[in-house]
Order: sequence, then C-alpha cells, then structure tokens
Amino acid sequence: MACFQFCYAAATASTIYPRCPDMEKKTLDKEVLAAVQRIPLLSLAAARILELTARADHTLTDVMDVARNDAALTARLLKIVNSPVYGLLEPATSLERAISYLGENLVVSLVLEDTIGSYMNKPLQGYGSASGDLWKHDLRTAIAAKEVALLNRDRCPPDVAFTGGLLHDIGKSILSEFLKERYQEILAELARKEVKDYVGGERELIGIDHARVGYELARNWGLPEVMQMVIRYHHEPSLAPEDLKTVVYAVHLGDIIAMMGGYGTGTDNLFYRLDQRYTDYLVVGPDQMGMLMLSVEEKFNETVETMQMH
Amino acid sequence: MAEIVLGIGGIGATNTMGSSLKTYALGSCIAVVILDPQTRTVGMVHVALPDSSIKPEKVATLPGYFVDTGIPALFEQMRRCGTKGPKGLIVKLAGGAQIMDQNNTFNIGKRNALAAKKILWGFGLAPVAEDLGDNFSRTVTLAADSGIMTLSSPGRPNWHI
Ligand SMILES: [Fe+2]
Ligand SMILES: [Fe+2]
Repeated sequence: MACFQFCYAAATASTIYPRCPDMEKKTLDKEVLAAVQRIPLLSLAAARILELTARADHTLTDVMDVARNDAALTARLLKIVNSPVYGLLEPATSLERAISYLGENLVVSLVLEDTIGSYMNKPLQGYGSASGDLWKHDLRTAIAAKEVALLNRDRCPPDVAFTGGLLHDIGKSILSEFLKERYQEILAELARKEVKDYVGGERELIGIDHARVGYELARNWGLPEVMQMVIRYHHEPSLAPEDLKTVVYAVHLGDIIAMMGGYGTGTDNLFYRLDQRYTDYLVVGPDQMGMLMLSVEEKFNETVETMQMH
Repeated sequence: MAEIVLGIGGIGATNTMGSSLKTYALGSCIAVVILDPQTRTVGMVHVALPDSSIKPEKVATLPGYFVDTGIPALFEQMRRCGTKGPKGLIVKLAGGAQIMDQNNTFNIGKRNALAAKKILWGFGLAPVAEDLGDNFSRTVTLAADSGIMTLSSPGRPNWHI
C-alpha cells in the first residue's frame, strides 16, 4: 500500500498505474521524447520527395526535378536501373529514363533507405528483431497499403498510401532502445490480458507507444501532415482527422496484411487490433484478402530483388 | 548438416541424416509437416492460401503456395525419397496466426488449417499434433533423422509438437 501511494504521488496524470510497477516507467516517456529531439534532420532531397509524394496530384516529373539536384541519388538510381535485374539492352544514362523505368515507389523507397536506412535496417533489441526486419515490414506494408488503395482508387491516392506505409513504424527504432529486453513484460501483460494490444503494452511500460514516438519524430522532421497522421494513428485509425482517414485506414490494413504474411517486426507479432470501421472508408471484402496477399507477395519479391535487399 | 530453408510456397523432403527443413515466420500461412517412420523421410510445405482456384496459373511455378495443390505436391516429393504412403504417415500442422479481431474478419489462417485437414482427410490422414491460431508468428524446424519438430517465435522459448 505504501508503495502504491508513493508511485501515485510521483506519477503524472497520464501515467498512473494501479499496480505500482517500478518507478522507471513514469519518466521514460520524457526520455524518449528527448531522444527524438537528438535525431538529425532529413536530407533536403528526402524531405522534398516526401513532401511531394504526400500530395495527391504530384507527377513523376516533380520527383525527377528533386532527384536531379542530388548527385548521390542520381548515381544510385542509374546504378540500380542498369543492374542485371532490369536487363536493359542499352544502358540508361539519363535520370529521366532511370526514373521512368523504376517508377515513383521505388525511387521513394531508395531515397528513404539512403537517408533513414540506418534506423530502419538496424536490429531492434526491444522487439527482438534482426537487422533488416523493420525495413522489410515497412516495405511490405507500403506495397499492401497501395494495393488496398488501388481497390479504392476514387478516394485513396495509392502513392500516398505507399509512402505512408514505408514510414508508419519509424517510431519503433527509437522506442526499441528503451524497451530492450523488457518486451517480456509486455508479452506477460498480453498473456494476462491486462493490456488490449501491443501498443497498449508499450504505453503501460514506457508511458508512450511507437506510433506516438514516430509522430513526434515526423513532426520534428517537418513531414507532411498526412504522413504525421498515418504514423500517429496507424493502430487507431478512427482517431485520425476525418479527411485523412481513408489513407490512414489503408496503411492500417496494409500493416495487418504485412503481419499476416509473416513480415512482422518481432516480439510484437500480430498483437494488434483490426479496426472494424475500416468498412466505412474502404472496400476490402474478406474474400478479396487472399488475392491481396498474393499480389503483395509477388510485388514484394520483385521490389526486394530490384533493390538488392537480402 | 544441410539446412533446407523453405520460403512461402516452398516444398522440401529429405531422408539425409543430419539435415533439416526450416521455414521462417508463418503468419496466417501454415506448415504441413509429414513424417514417414518407414523410410525416415521428413517433408514440409509452407502454404499461404487455401485454394488454388484464386490463381490457377501460379500452380505450375509454385504449387506449394496453395493448400489444395501443395499437399499432393509434398507427397510427390516424399515419394521420390522412397515414401510409399499416404498410409502410415504422421502429419503435424503449425501456423495459421491471426490479427486480434473478435469477428475474425480476415480468417485466412483458419481457412488454411481447415483446408489442410480436408485435403489430408481425402488421403485418409489426420494430424496427430497441431499448433494453430493465436496472435504470434511461428518458425518451424524439422530434423530429418529424429523427426523432431521445433517451433519458435520472437520473445518465446522454443517448443515442440
Ligand atoms: Fe505499428
Ligand atoms: Fe507495422
């Protein structure tokens, strides 16, 4: 009882725990937010491309204009398009040709891999995942979110859903450092049904979840509003602003398709909830799911081969 | 110590001492495992969807992707290792996880498991052990000589069925 009161007194309103877990978790959320502040800004080219692709009416020419000003990116795109995967008869020497072969999604993926790949590719100790797992999950989610959007073309811009999918779990790379081996506690809480899903477990343990951490990072980076909202609400899409809900739901479903396909990020497994209300915004019948999973699988394999990921 | 890794839709069978079959991270997919005590052959297929009618042209390149074509194709591979069966074969199933959802909207895992049991039934077989459903992914390893089937999942100690 004494312990309970002690903890209670030290807690802020948002982090009161009835069972008096250790003191650490009360203050960790502030430390996590401080860690977010220490992450360096995005490169100019990356920020511009993300900005562009968040707009529903952008064109491939817009993307080319940005890439043209980045010598390293231009070189990388040319190298990829001239790799044996593409089997071009004549080497592509112009950026225009390279980008039109590769397509926007691949360009965005390469830009993100170049600039924030160090966060996406590292092993996540706090999720018990190996190097590359998060990036593959993100890529798989992006492809799936786009496929979902394509089924709902009239109301959901597919390329925005794709980029949102790539970014949605960026918060995990930061939260991982604070979770370390403590994921065991989340798994125990889930087993005892004390939390309703994995993000609930993260909040219980650290005082903040990976969606919120990602959102804070996205804000710091000055990412477009739609990306911020996708990241923040991908597990709770019903809380997203009304005009962005379709994209957020597309990424929500894309994330689930990725996890069902065996591309999760580790200890969090499939411990997330499907928000049934997706049907108010998107049409994806249960019978369409099989076909979706199949095309996601095929597109993912192609992309991995092209990007020369392993 | 050859470890044969099966991707999604992958089929493998072996009776080489010391070798093993392995498949990573079954989400809603399932691993159908078959043991032949007579020839000490083990086999495994990593199936993703219950029915090949969804995309029949894929069967030619990757029959293991679907339950209805994957299981017969696995028998075929095992026959090449000397298995006479289906009589006397031991079957185990693992996988079929799902997202947290009371309504079980996207029940591919469950449908995979049901389809597998139905196809196996057609061969006069029923699984002697299964580890299906729940909200976690599974990695399966199958040792050739012992037939020991080991499951693992991130954050959990390994277990056997
Ligand atoms: Fe997430
Ligand atoms: Fe995710």
